[in-house]
Amino acid sequence: QFGPCRVEGVVLQKLWEAFRAVKDIVQAQDNITGVRLLRKEVLQNVSEAESCYLIHALLKFYLDTVFRNYRRKAAEFRILRSLSTLANNFIVIVSKLQLSQENKMFSTWESARKRFLLFQRAFKQLDREAAVTKAFGEVDILLTWMEKFQQL
Amino acid sequence: DAVAVLPAPQNLSVQSTNMKHVLTWSPVVVPEEIIHYSVEYQGEYESLYMSHIWIPSSWCSPTAGPECDITDDITATVPYNLRVRAVLGSQTSAWSTLKQPFNQNSTILTPPGMEVTQDGFHLVIKLEDLGPQFEYFVAYWRKESGAEEHVKMVMNGGVPVHLETMEPGSAYCVKAQTFVKAIGRHSAFSQAECVKVQGETLPL
Amino acid sequence: VPCVSGGLPKPTNITFLSINMKNTLQWNPPEGLQGVAVTYTVQYFIYGQKKWLNKSECRNINRTYCDLSAETSDYEHQYYAKVKATWGMNCSKWTETRRFYPFLETQIGPPEVALTTDEKSISIVLTAPEKWKKNPEDSSVSMQQIYSNLKYNVSIYNTKSNRTWSQCVANHTLVLSWLEPDTLYCVVVESIVPGPPRLAQPSEKQCVRTLKDQTSALKVK
Repeated sequence: QFGPCRVEGVVLQKLWEAFRAVKDIVQAQDNITGVRLLRKEVLQNVSEAESCYLIHALLKFYLDTVFRNYRRKAAEFRILRSLSTLANNFIVIVSKLQLSQENKMFSTWESARKRFLLFQRAFKQLDREAAVTKAFGEVDILLTWMEKFQQL
Repeated sequence: DAVAVLPAPQNLSVQSTNMKHVLTWSPVVVPEEIIHYSVEYQGEYESLYMSHIWIPSSWCSPTAGPECDITDDITATVPYNLRVRAVLGSQTSAWSTLKQPFNQNSTILTPPGMEVTQDGFHLVIKLEDLGPQFEYFVAYWRKESGAEEHVKMVMNGGVPVHLETMEPGSAYCVKAQTFVKAIGRHSAFSQAECVKVQGETLPL
Repeated sequence: VPCVSGGLPKPTNITFLSINMKNTLQWNPPEGLQGVAVTYTVQYFIYGQKKWLNKSECRNINRTYCDLSAETSDYEHQYYAKVKATWGMNCSKWTETRRFYPFLETQIGPPEVALTTDEKSISIVLTAPEKWKKNPEDSSVSMQQIYSNLKYNVSIYNTKSNRTWSQCVANHTLVLSWLEPDTLYCVVVESIVPGPPRLAQPSEKQCVRTLKDQTSALKVK
């Protein structure tokens, strides 16, 4: 359950395994340690209602921008398989997050969007390749947050 | 003299049972030559977002046998395209691609093996370890008319797990099924097995 | 007078050892300098913030470990730490940890296990492991408050029948009834947090003997 979205059969186990296999390689490439994209203002005290919109926006961003632009590096560092596992499971989760349109409360959606924009703005302030590498290296922060919400 | 054109492997198919997936094909035969094969896969993401790139299989790029365990490559419940080609030295055949994409939600789930024992008055079950993706629903009941059926979820197989403290002089029966959350499916129940407190295991 | 940087080889194998959020940085002396009076200086960094911070209690120390629990107590942050060696006028370059995420990487210690027995039963009372705290008098925080889905895997070994079985419990008390009288049972408990794979430490094995069967004792009289 992610707030208003009912989600069936989301299994994070394969994602953890995939990220754990590449964590040190990817995080070692991130030299801008003074910037954290998924910082507390983005993920802390997210209401249940907001969680669905936020997770949907974040996963879509990772699919559309982060993983897509990390492909060349993934091939270079021979971690394409892990990237494939993460990306294909993100597709499964996004496809299961049925954003129930009818009870889409605008205020909730708006506050979730503000959080996402905090993340996206920080991303855009960095050089593109550095931002993609940093976002990939923060998948453990994203999964930890998803894990917590999954247990609610 | 070199083979004019190395034929591509034919008759690709996937056998999948209990989330173990094996791709098989008809071997390419070239007299007095040893043929190797390369297997590649492509998930939905690679098709939709990454201009159809292919990823070499974890264990079969290359491989000698006409089959490949692709379990470690199929890591999401999405359709996967799979292809194989033959390799002879520097020569490679054309790729043969599996006609229908494979999705792990089509795997065959069999009832789990189980060992029902007792330690004094304690009913204990040890389930077949089918891997980390499997959970087990165990149903048990006291063998008497109108007995209520209890259900316990066991998270992993391979270790003896306590089910119930039995009443003296009674008999209890147990059956189990697997559940795979990633594909939202469960197996059929196993045959029930019964034990009598301080008696012999009674076949049903 | 600043030391000559790079004059010494770097310390090696720098890692965090983390148990119940007690986060200790540890390392090996530089190659070839075992036994030499080398001193070490530690700094740490909070991922997303701007500068390296000193740990005053770990400046020019002889030991090869440094407790950074207080500095890394916000377990939702991620951290780096680094150490350099100094000997006389020479010092090494810094050697740095990989990114450390206490919430994911801390080992969950075993619960406290209290056993009491009577003829045919053993009562097991579990107390959740405690999060590290700076001062003994500080109020305790249970690891259960951090990991709300923390459970326990209780393994019971009957030394007479030579059988072992386990039970996964969420609450803190468990009564094993209908046991065999005058029998030694051994119990080991491990904390489990579903989700990402985490290291867990089993409790010390504790063995207790159920009491003799009083009814048969009366018959004998």
